[in-house]
Amino acid sequence: MSWMSALNAWQWLLLGLVPPAVLLLYFLKLKRKSLEVPSTFLWRRTIEDMHVNSIWQKLRQNLLLYLQLLFLAAIIFTCLRPGWDGSSSAGKRWIFLVDNSASMRATDESPSRLEVAKGKIRDQIKTMQSGDVAMILAFSDRADVRQGFTGDKRKLIGAIDSIEPTNRTTDIGEALRASAGLANPGRASFGGVNDVQVADALPATLYIFSDGGFPPIDDFDMGNLKAEYVPIGRQVVNNVGILAFTAQRNDEVTTQVQAFGRIANEGDEEVSIVASLYRDKELLDAANVTIPAGEEAGVNFELNNAIEGALKLELDVKDELLIDNVAFAALRPARQLSLLLITPGNTALETSLQTGALAKLAEVSVEPPSYMETPDFEKKVEQAFFDLILFDQCSPKKMPNANTLFIGDKPPLENWVMGEMESPIILMEWDKRHPVMQFLEMGNVRIYEGFTVQPPEGGTVLMRSDVGPMMSIAPRGPFQDAVLGFRLVTTKDGENDVNTDWARKRSFPIFVYSIVEYLGGGITASAASTVLPGQPMAMSLSVRHDRFRIEDPKGKSREVLRGNQSQIVYTQTDEPGIYKVFTEENPNPTEIFAVNLFSARESNPGAIQELQLGGQEVAVGDSLMFGRKEWWRWILMLGLFVLVVEWMIYNRRVFI
Amino acid sequence: MATVADNQSLLPTEMLGKLERMELVSRKIFRGRMKGERRSKRKGQSVEFADFRTYVAGDDLRFIDWNLYARMDRLYLKLFFEEEDLHFFGVVDDSMSMDFGNPSKFFVARQILAALGYIGLCRGDRVKLTTLSGSNAASPAMRGRSSLARLLGSLENMKVGAAPPMETCVKNFCLRNSGKGIIVLVTDLMDKSGYESALRLLVAREMDIYLIHLLSPEELDPKLTGDLKLVDCEDGDAREISVSSHLLKRYQATLSQFIEQARSYCNRRSIVYIPARSDQAVEVLINQYLRQRGLVR
Repeated sequence: MSWMSALNAWQWLLLGLVPPAVLLLYFLKLKRKSLEVPSTFLWRRTIEDMHVNSIWQKLRQNLLLYLQLLFLAAIIFTCLRPGWDGSSSAGKRWIFLVDNSASMRATDESPSRLEVAKGKIRDQIKTMQSGDVAMILAFSDRADVRQGFTGDKRKLIGAIDSIEPTNRTTDIGEALRASAGLANPGRASFGGVNDVQVADALPATLYIFSDGGFPPIDDFDMGNLKAEYVPIGRQVVNNVGILAFTAQRNDEVTTQVQAFGRIANEGDEEVSIVASLYRDKELLDAANVTIPAGEEAGVNFELNNAIEGALKLELDVKDELLIDNVAFAALRPARQLSLLLITPGNTALETSLQTGALAKLAEVSVEPPSYMETPDFEKKVEQAFFDLILFDQCSPKKMPNANTLFIGDKPPLENWVMGEMESPIILMEWDKRHPVMQFLEMGNVRIYEGFTVQPPEGGTVLMRSDVGPMMSIAPRGPFQDAVLGFRLVTTKDGENDVNTDWARKRSFPIFVYSIVEYLGGGITASAASTVLPGQPMAMSLSVRHDRFRIEDPKGKSREVLRGNQSQIVYTQTDEPGIYKVFTEENPNPTEIFAVNLFSARESNPGAIQELQLGGQEVAVGDSLMFGRKEWWRWILMLGLFVLVVEWMIYNRRVFI
Repeated sequence: MATVADNQSLLPTEMLGKLERMELVSRKIFRGRMKGERRSKRKGQSVEFADFRTYVAGDDLRFIDWNLYARMDRLYLKLFFEEEDLHFFGVVDDSMSMDFGNPSKFFVARQILAALGYIGLCRGDRVKLTTLSGSNAASPAMRGRSSLARLLGSLENMKVGAAPPMETCVKNFCLRNSGKGIIVLVTDLMDKSGYESALRLLVAREMDIYLIHLLSPEELDPKLTGDLKLVDCEDGDAREISVSSHLLKRYQATLSQFIEQARSYCNRRSIVYIPARSDQAVEVLINQYLRQRGLVR
């Protein structure tokens, strides 16, 4: 015989208190109403042999008490859910995939889709028989195993209860792979000779509780998995959501800021809404937008005062998904790079660094190579004063604490392999995907001489010539170094001998601007970056600082250390809103970024009723199976109620 | 526990006529104290011949049967039955337990004694009414119909109160009243020390004893429900009970046994045991019930 507790610990405690309470009531019942009689002579003789005063003797005679205790024992026995383990019933294995992405916050199902899904799974767990095991996975854009395979219903229900809605997008792929790894042999194993199976690969039933708002999964093989899809939510949901929102400084009028938003109406009726633009809590502007059903519309705001900080676009609409009715954007704080050019004299380069665009971006200092010998240089280099140092035709004795670009000279870098001077040099290919090299046309550049530059592991070749790599870039701890293998000019006695005609080409100033923008910290764009909730945010922050404090929209701060990385990657981006990055000494944010749910899929929360995985149609789960309601608790309550009523009737002597 | 019924008259006027035609029946012949209407053991001067006896010196010569002397030549004295009065003792139990019921047992007991006493008065008997404990002033011996007012007055003055055990009370009664005659004891016999020894004392007095065992409906058929603590009104003794049909059946059995024991005890000792209910009308009780039992005719 097997036992399965139907109650939790405190419920057992309460039920366990009932039998002593019944006994206690019988004892308390002995406090009687006093009545004067002519004589107790006859009564004494009547009750003499019944021993009324002896409590236990009285209880011994009380049939009702025995019946009540028997009744309670039956109730307690029932709550233990006794049964036999039948040999024929092999335990079932269930995997519950629960979508907790942003679209599951939709309230078309009351109270929310996620709560409905959780309720259905709870009901299903309650129907589990002895020997059945189940696993709980929550997924949004990543999978999270909340509970491994277990037959303990309390653990499973606890895992279900712990699932909270997220603001993330949906990707079921990872959850499917995790499920398949446990169900299909050979999926989850370590490579190598000692191939170890990490889990019992057994057939399992996979229940997907979702609104189906995720990209199609084509490259997935179910194998042992038998999938059932339980759609949650209505097919058409009235929702208006912001798909994009950005703020940009007007290039022509620097004091003007343009904010642009794109709003989609996913419902089946035309809506007319008010879009309000706020800075902090102050209303800046508002616009009426009318969007036909299933279409998109844009809103444009022009703000005349140069605005820094956070902007919030809010739609005044009550729809089923609230999270996409608000979007955030920010303008980056204006900050100039500190750039040092060390050159014996290079007119072309110096001219390129004096363009208007670069003047806004960076404050450029030009020094001769002798400056490298001064204590001032050593001190500033030690303190990482410069964001970027350009070494033209020269190199320092040791590498400075800054990003560097070496032009035509070999830097004191280990692991880099520099070739001998060769001539002539014909450029053959350049990496246009790299930010430094994009927009450049190098085919018409002629080079007299140069040396090959082979970066260490982890580096990137940007230009390749007939003799080998001509320009490379590679990280050095928190910094990045770029080396150009040929000089622009060779300076002798103040005279410049031209080594290449690149300086005359249109691509040269663009290259200079790009290299300054890239190595200077990539903070040139006035519009702050935005990422989806939960996605990592990579930031190229000033190399002058190692420690940053990032404040999330709720005002909670987290400390981030740069370590040896040139980029800071911040992953705690679950909350939509504006995130601010602070350095130690500056009270104003040095960087700012926004987290927004800009997802057409999440903003269109209409539940998909049919699902395909790996090209196969997934059976739609029979919702009736999940609709099982257990009545035993009510019957138990009724039993206890009957006990109380019986007690009252007995005491009132309605019937003797 | 005085009730409205207690304020009624002990002896309704309409009963008096019926009572005057009745007579107390004594199963024994006693010596009286005064000339009366009842035949006495004593030989006397009535008209009814009783016996002859030999003359001895000093006898009254008027009672010599001269005709017999002529035939037998010996002197014989002619004896006649004497007619004397009868002693009627009415004793009512005045313990607290008698003060229950509606009308109370004590009231009904006094009604019975008033009726019987009046019958005695009408027949020229010597009537004396008293409480068992003797705490109330006992009535003087009364004779003649004219003593009715005194009889009722003495009964009305009787009150219930804490009483000693029945045996003590009867002993005291016997010491106070030496004569023989009829004694009617009205009691509920609810004495935890027992009634047997008390009745034995009365039997020893060779009196003609009538025991009217008066019980109230509350005792005969208690209408109790629930869980109760029964408190004895006499000694404060408490008994806790949970009333159930089972318990009530047991009580009825105990009561029946109690009554049967009393009846058996009395029968064995020539005591006339008369069970009575306090809710029975006193007219019915006297005219029918006690007549059937032979106390009156």
